[in-house]
Amino acid sequence: MTGRNDIYELDELLGAYALDAVDPDEARRVEDYLAINPKAAAEVADHREVATMLAFTGMEAPDDLWGRIASELDDDPERPAPGPELQRIIQASATAPVPPAVPAVEQPGAAVTSLDEARQRRRWSSSMAWVAGSAAAAVVAVVAITVVVTDRADAPTDPLIAAIETARADIDSVETTLVAENFAATADAVIGQDGRGYLEARELPVLADDQTYQLWGVVSDGQVISLGILGPNLGLETFTVEGDVSALAITIEDAPGVIADGNPDGAFVGTF
Amino acid sequence: MEDVRQDYVEASDAALVVAIGRYQQAALAEAYRRHAGAVFGLSKRLLSDASRAEEIVQEVFVRLWNDPSRFDPERGTLRSFLLATTHGRSVDLIRADAARRAREEREAREQADGGYDLAREVWDLALAGHVRDALEALAPGEREAIELAYFGGRTYKEVAAELGEPEGTVKSRIRNGLKRLRQELLEAGVSSGTA
Repeated sequence: MTGRNDIYELDELLGAYALDAVDPDEARRVEDYLAINPKAAAEVADHREVATMLAFTGMEAPDDLWGRIASELDDDPERPAPGPELQRIIQASATAPVPPAVPAVEQPGAAVTSLDEARQRRRWSSSMAWVAGSAAAAVVAVVAITVVVTDRADAPTDPLIAAIETARADIDSVETTLVAENFAATADAVIGQDGRGYLEARELPVLADDQTYQLWGVVSDGQVISLGILGPNLGLETFTVEGDVSALAITIEDAPGVIADGNPDGAFVGTF
Repeated sequence: MEDVRQDYVEASDAALVVAIGRYQQAALAEAYRRHAGAVFGLSKRLLSDASRAEEIVQEVFVRLWNDPSRFDPERGTLRSFLLATTHGRSVDLIRADAARRAREEREAREQADGGYDLAREVWDLALAGHVRDALEALAPGEREAIELAYFGGRTYKEVAAELGEPEGTVKSRIRNGLKRLRQELLEAGVSSGTA
């Protein structure tokens, strides 16, 4: 199974997973995928919210049930205080009113980690893992030749960021998260209806000077075409596509890149 | 529910969970007051067994008490979290062979008594109008796949076998159907926060 097919299959499983309708092995694969693909995780959350609405029954629980639950609660004061994960919840709910009568629990020595900080650390370690897993990316077949000018944006300007936000807000745009085959790192892409695409790939590691990242697209007839040579150090990139693209892939190639690649195994792959 | 303190009645779900993390039993009591009915109703519907549904309710709220950090307010509402937990635990029971046999026997009896109409049950809910409309907007294959998977506790592979459809088709129908349901409900101004 190729990486592209694997990602596609995992995406297709998200609905069934949200309804607990997958096998245990599939559930584990999806959970690994969700851990590194926030877009997929958000989709599962959406599906579960829908299920919540379907499940709403308006029924009353039996009268004596709360008493049984209360008798089971462990309120031993010797239990450890809530840990950092709960602190994160506290931060996330900082705008919610907390009843004033509730006494705060002190956590001596427990550093509060912001969600952003935690995410940055996770991304960094993921990138390092990806370096080891991606060394085998190889060119195996010539399929098509398409030359598209790629604009580098090493120092993103506000207009560029604004253009990305505009593209993301447009319901006619398409978005995807490109995921490494070993699920270790991701990049996000959005393509506007005008064919202008934007790639955010800051967490991909810097390559050696004799290597380059290369962006590929799967077009409507199934062919894989080059969408541009991206260089060894990715950040915020722009590219252009002509016609429909059903998937994107990023590979590592020997500089200055190749004119075609038929098999993006080991690459980042994202489907629309 | 005399355990519910008045100062928690107006608190948000997220604030309740924070208070639960601080071992405030009254906060759990308020969460129970708000959501136990939905938890019980879903579990009873899945298991067709009130006493086992009560056990699930008990387990779900004790788990919330013991490990409130599993709830992530950025990933959805507390009700959604509790019902997802409820559904997962209920399905675990359904998939145990003994539970499945007993359940299928009960279902067979119910069908003999007057049919098993899932959509009709949904229509009886307080917000049933919007949910009914959204369900009706689905293609029949999508609706059937979602109902069998969610309310029937079946895997998509079991649904595919039951419907005589390819597994890939059923996977897609579930995913696309859920997306369509969400869109329909959002356009109708319904969210889980209002349910």
